[in-house]
Formats: sequence, structure tokens, C-alpha cells
Amino acid sequence: MKKRSREGFSLPIYILFTAVTLAVMLLCICVGSVMLPPMDTLEVLWNGLTGAQGPVNEMAANIILPVRLPRVLCVALVGASLSLCGGAMQGLLKNPLADGTTLGVSSGASLGAVTAIAFGISLPGFPFAGSMVMAVLFAFGSLALILSLAYKLDSSLSTNTIILIGVIFSMFASSISSLIITFAGDKIKTITFWTMGSLQGSSYENALVLLAALALFGGLVIGCGRELNAFAVGEDNARNIGVNVRRVKLTVLICISVLIGVCVSVSGTIGFVGLVTPHMLRSITGPNHRRLLPATLFGGACFLMLSDLLARTLLNPRELPLGVVTSFVGSMMFIYIFYMSRKGR
Amino acid sequence: MKQLNICIALLTAAALLLTGCAGNREKGGETTGTAEAGQQETEETQSQTEKPAEPEARGTGPITFTDMNGREITLEKPADRIVALTASDCEILYALGAGDTLVGRGEYCNWPAEVMDVPSVQSGENTNVEQIIALQPQVLLMSAMAQTDEQIEALENAGIQVVVSYAQDIEGVYEAISMIGTAMGKNDEAESLVTEMKNTFDQIRENSTGDGSETIYFEVSPLEYGLWAAGSGTFMDEVARMLGLANVFADMEGWGEVSEEQVIQRAPDYIVTIAMYYGEGLTPVEEITSRSGWENIPAIQNGKLLNLQNDELSRPGPRLKDGAELLYEFVYGGKTE
Repeated sequence: MKKRSREGFSLPIYILFTAVTLAVMLLCICVGSVMLPPMDTLEVLWNGLTGAQGPVNEMAANIILPVRLPRVLCVALVGASLSLCGGAMQGLLKNPLADGTTLGVSSGASLGAVTAIAFGISLPGFPFAGSMVMAVLFAFGSLALILSLAYKLDSSLSTNTIILIGVIFSMFASSISSLIITFAGDKIKTITFWTMGSLQGSSYENALVLLAALALFGGLVIGCGRELNAFAVGEDNARNIGVNVRRVKLTVLICISVLIGVCVSVSGTIGFVGLVTPHMLRSITGPNHRRLLPATLFGGACFLMLSDLLARTLLNPRELPLGVVTSFVGSMMFIYIFYMSRKGR
Repeated sequence: MKQLNICIALLTAAALLLTGCAGNREKGGETTGTAEAGQQETEETQSQTEKPAEPEARGTGPITFTDMNGREITLEKPADRIVALTASDCEILYALGAGDTLVGRGEYCNWPAEVMDVPSVQSGENTNVEQIIALQPQVLLMSAMAQTDEQIEALENAGIQVVVSYAQDIEGVYEAISMIGTAMGKNDEAESLVTEMKNTFDQIRENSTGDGSETIYFEVSPLEYGLWAAGSGTFMDEVARMLGLANVFADMEGWGEVSEEQVIQRAPDYIVTIAMYYGEGLTPVEEITSRSGWENIPAIQNGKLLNLQNDELSRPGPRLKDGAELLYEFVYGGKTE
């Protein structure tokens, strides 16, 4: 076994990652649908951060702090959360295609949010709260259902059973969503827009909720990095070296379902982030989860921020749905990396 | 076993990707389809106006006319059993006093209230030929978007005359009204309805003092579900120009998703939203007013927000004049008369 100090990243590397992420974030704040002078943007940002008052470009002040910054923050946090979930799930299930979508958690969360929209479930004054609560509940519920079904079939919760049932449940939840959409009448349009995945109208509250969820549940997942490494060798092996297999599995899966539920309710369904980023990063960090999982946070944030930048600017003044960009860019990159890594063998 | 699992996982991933892509493509296809159909339709509309259909004398002999897809239609007698798939055609029928001939309606037809009592059939891309045949109509009114050649053939084999009504601009609405009037043997009613609409629009045009310096922003879908705005080539844009207002998204063709930043930058003087209000939470106007970063938009500072909830400006029907009047009252205060 490697020495502890060499297992995770060292401080300089974290600083480097943070610097890169902040640089990408700054780029995404400075460039947008409306072109603003970068110096004005930076001035507004600086004033916002320090609370200083000063003569600023009024247009920049109206756009940067209330509209663009919260969106970029939400995009970064959603990207980080989804990528972390994908990375953890791929390790846990030892399946390169594991993701919130293949496990059925995303579809479950979507079903919850679609239900909330279709039946007008909302908490007054909090436009997103209704669908968020429902998405998290349904993500939990679908996970509980998937796990209990899997447990019935196979009490060791083997990865094969879970992913099979996850896939089946995913289809089931999607069909119920479609059914609800069919009967949703006037609200069809709004649901359709929402399922395309959009981070328009993100607020600081959204960012705060995402940050809280990521700090708490994402922290727990990252804390399980060593156990996930043991899983990579094999479940029996992990059990033999003293890992409480079932507890780790449950912890990781529950954390993932909360994270995905929150993300889905804020942004709709954004495909491919959780699947692609961990694969791309694995070629840099190697398979060690103590390196991979923290890296997915930064990588996912950067990937989604850049995708959102394209979505916002490519067809000005129109916006593209974010899911379209991530799927397009993601699949290209995925094929490239997959091909290159196969060729190297 | 492991290989099988990988296969299944791969297949599922592929299926998920495909459904994802299909959804997107469908959406994109729909938009471009509309735009293309729109252009095509405008051309047809022009050629149509060059050689207006000469309706035969009422009550005697067959009626012949050209529908909005350029097809020659011959009816033995004025239609008395009709299925109309689009909401606007239902509205035209009722406005002509022919609502009682409706034996079926598209699922989204909801105006006037009586139409809800008419049996509903699936419409648009879900158009169900069997449902329509079962209602045994003489004429099926549908839009150009909804039809496939196979569907039309099946319907005509069942003895149902398919008539396409597809207005892309206000001229097109006049054409649709007179075509439906001809088919129903209600030429006079159609003529007076068109005249009424024209008079209203003329009056609005005359009374409007705007010179295009004031701007208006039409919000089709609220922020929570992605901001969609009406660009050029929409009824909303046409009515805005009638009122001497400039649409802030005139540089965008048709409807499209836009960013909040764009709206803030373009600083509209008036905001019109067609969002539905379901009786709980913030009303659409309150919701727009409460958006952060929007405080300095002139429309919000001056409280110039209007919520049109009943599709007055989004449907190519006779109520466009109601929508235009409401907008006039909103912008200039007071009636057109």
C-alpha cells in the first residue's frame, strides 16, 4: 500500500486546481450573452465582493451580480456534484457506465419534479422549493425501491443486480413522467422546457442550497474514497480487509441520491456530465478515488461552466439548452478519449 | 455473465443517449419546420391572394375552393359535420356562428367555453386517424404542421375531406376565415368578421402614436422553465408594429429561448407575458417584477407589465383583435374608439 501522504493530492495541486477553476469561472463571468467591458465586469465583481461603492457601468451592475454570477455559481456546483456522483458510482459499482441516469436516481428525481410541476405542488414564495423537495424525495424513494428490490434478489447487494434494477426502474420512471406529461394539459410546454435542462434564472439561494448539499453529502462521499478503492479490487476483498461493505454502499448511494435530487430540481436533466468527466479525469489522476473524487469536483465544475458558456453565447441572442451542449461536446470527447486509450493498449 | 451485464449496460446507455438526442432533435426539427413551413406558407398565401377562390352561389351545387396548402377542394354541400384540430380553427367556427357543426375538436381547443363539450381528439404529432374517422365528419380542418401524406390518404379514403388551414400572419388569418366561411356556406359572416378585424386593426394603427422608439418584450415562457421570447414573424411582433412599438427581439426569427441578460440589456419599455396563473404563488406580473437584476428595466420601473392569459396574441384566430385592443389599452390607456 502506498504511503498516506502520496495517496491524495498535495496542497500545491489543490491550489492549482482551485486556480484553474477560478480562472474558468472568471472567464464565464466576463463573457456572456451580452458583451460587457471586462474591466467594468471586474470592477462590479470587486465592489460586490468588498462591499465598496463606486461609479460603475450600470448595465454591468444590473447583469453581473444579479444574473450572471449566480448562474455561473450554480453551473459550477451542479457540474461538481454530478461529476462526483458519477465518479463515486463508477467506483462503487465497478461499472464504467454507472451514472445517476443508469442507476435510475435521475429519472426518479425527474419524476418527482415533473409531478410537482404538473400538479402545481409548490411552497408559496419559494418557486423552486416544491420541485426540489419532490425531486429529493423521489430520488430517495427510487433508491430505496431499487435497493430493496435488489436486496430481495441478492442480499449482498451485488453490483450486477443493482444496476439491472436501476436500468429497469429508470425506464419505468421515465414512462410515468411521459404519462404525466401527456395528461398535464396546459403545463406541457413548461415541463418540456424544464426537462431540456436549463440553469436560467438561477439565484444565490439555489447556489447556497447546492453548496450546502455538496459540502455535506459530497464531503461524505469523498470521505469514502479509501473504501471505494477497496471496492475496486473486489467486494469480497473489501469485506476481507474490514470494510463494512453494505454500510459504505448505503452511505454513498444515499448521498448520491440527495445530490442528484437537488441538482435535478435546480437545473433539470443534464446528461453526460456525471458519465464523462470521471473518465476524462481518470486518465490524469489514475484510478485512486482519493485523487479522482476531489478532481471530479474541479473537473466537473470547469466542464459544465464551459459548456454553459457555449450554450449562452453560441447562437446569440438565443440560448441553447445546456443538455444539448453537454451531450454533444461530451460524446465527442468521450469517443476521442476512449479511442485514444484503446489505441494505446 | 459479466459480458452480458456490460452488454446490457452499453445498450441502456445507447438507448438513453438515443432518447436524449431524439428529444432534442424533435425540438429543433419542430422549430425549423415551423419556420420553413412559415416561409412556404407565406408564398402560398401570396399566390392565393392573387387568384382568390370564387365561391359558388350558396346552397346550390358543389362548393369549390383552394385550401391553404394549395389543394383544390370540392364539397357537395356546405359542411355540417366538422372536426377541427387547431384551437384557432375552432375559434373561427364559433365566431362564424358555426360552432354547432363541430363534432370533434383537437385536445388543446379551449375557446369559447362551449367547445369543451365537443368530443376531443388527439392533435398535432399525435393525430389519431381512427378517432377522427369514428366521428364521421364531412370535413377535417387541420394545420399544415400536423399532416402526413399517409394520414391524409387514410382520411380521404374514409370519405373525409381534409382542409388545411395554416395562417402565419394576420393576412393568413383573414384567408383562413374566408376559406372556412366558404366551406361552411357562411361567406357573409366570414366577410363581416374579416371586415371587423380589419377595422379594429386600422383603428389601432391610426390611433397609435408610437414611432417605433418605444420597445416591447413578449415573454412566452416564464423564467422558471427557461425564458422564451417572441421574435419577428410572430403575431405578437405584427401587433407590436401595428401599435408603433419595436419588438426588442426583432432580430430573432420566431420563438426562441433568450437569456435574462439580453432582456436587461435591451431594456424594454413594455413587457407582455402570456404565462398562465394557476391561482397560487406569485402572479406572472409579480414574478417578473421580483426578478433580481430587472429592477432598472423601464417597463418594471414604470409598472408597464401586462399578463395576457387567454392566448389572445398567440393564436391565429379572430381574437387577435381582442389581443391587439388589450395591448392598445395597456400602452395608450383608453379604448380605441
